[in-house]
Amino acid sequence: MALPGALLTPVESTAPLDAAAQARLIGLVALNQDRQAFALLFKHFAPRLKSFHLRAGLSDAAAEELAQETMILLWRKAARFDPACAGAATWVFTITRNLRTDHARRRIQAEVEALPEADPAASAEAIYMSGERAEMMRGALAALSTEQRRVIELSFFADTPHAAIATALHLPLGTVKSRIRLALARLRDALGAEP
Amino acid sequence: MSIQHHPTDDTLLRFAAGALNAGLTLVTEAHLHVCAQCRARLGEFEATGGALLDEQPPAALAPTAFADVLARLDGPAVAVRPPVPPANSDMPAVLAGCEIGRWWWLGRGIRYSQVRLPWAPEANVMLLRVAANRAVFPHTHAAHELTQILRGGYSDCTGTYGPGDMADADDTLLHQPWADAEGCLCLAALEGPMRLDGWLGRWQRRLGLY
Ligand SMILES: [Zn+2]
Repeated sequence: MALPGALLTPVESTAPLDAAAQARLIGLVALNQDRQAFALLFKHFAPRLKSFHLRAGLSDAAAEELAQETMILLWRKAARFDPACAGAATWVFTITRNLRTDHARRRIQAEVEALPEADPAASAEAIYMSGERAEMMRGALAALSTEQRRVIELSFFADTPHAAIATALHLPLGTVKSRIRLALARLRDALGAEP
Repeated sequence: MSIQHHPTDDTLLRFAAGALNAGLTLVTEAHLHVCAQCRARLGEFEATGGALLDEQPPAALAPTAFADVLARLDGPAVAVRPPVPPANSDMPAVLAGCEIGRWWWLGRGIRYSQVRLPWAPEANVMLLRVAANRAVFPHTHAAHELTQILRGGYSDCTGTYGPGDMADADDTLLHQPWADAEGCLCLAALEGPMRLDGWLGRWQRRLGLY
């Protein structure tokens, strides 16, 4: 008999999980509380979540705790994931964002969870489409200029994005909003231009 | 009903990034609730956050991280509470769980009620009611102020606002809104906790709220 502990160690895999695989695995967690699927999701997302929060300026301990808490909420809220609405990484991003924001975190405790659960057996088509969308977004981000990419990243990584963008790019604060507008317009163009 | 006025991209991006304060977040949610176009725009911004997350180089976790998480999986589930409908049933669903204070007269056909968010007691959120065909005195705004029209509407130098519309204003706006023939009910929030500048800040001080 295999040791359950051994089965549950995140397996070494060389390639990161693609978006469709992420969505399928979250579906398995929702449907069967599948710990093997969770282990693969943990292996992919937990180190990236920690990296994301370190990048946003959190301490190692705080980033680690947020990464772990996000994975716990992924487990508990898996039934609410709907690949027809958002990609898996996008859904995980919104969970971790809400944990990082103090008022949103307090609200999770008081949360009015009136939303219906998503259909746990998400259609193969929805999973495929969510993978396609993630691919398009990756392409759109890659098509940005270095400065535009920086504006977008700072919008997500900085607590006071406007001030951070102004400092990083040596811009007056008044110019920052128009730079954000330009970067977003470019991102939108790239999204529209992709097949 | 067609929505003409939306939050700016900058506001939606900050919402997506979790960088809006609790009050501005709530008022933005009130708009998202009725506006499919902004839900789609927000979806794009959140997908950007998802792509950035997915592209991060993996960081080293604590050696016991996975075991620690497994040990915590079976803890208390996320609380599921029945929704508490707002006291007044024609209030938007996002106000569920909020405490709506008593209505104060601000004079000249304007009434005001402070909204308390239990998860963010410092948030500065309010309901405003302007009687039919009344003008609000000319005023400027806080650094960032969001106003979602719930019922009725108003006009000012920037256009005509109806139910579902959002006014996304900063401190460069000086205006004098005129309520339309139906009057106007709106939900508003200001940047920063308990900001005392701007016209609403002055009224709040006068009422002894802050
Ligand atoms: Zn809108």
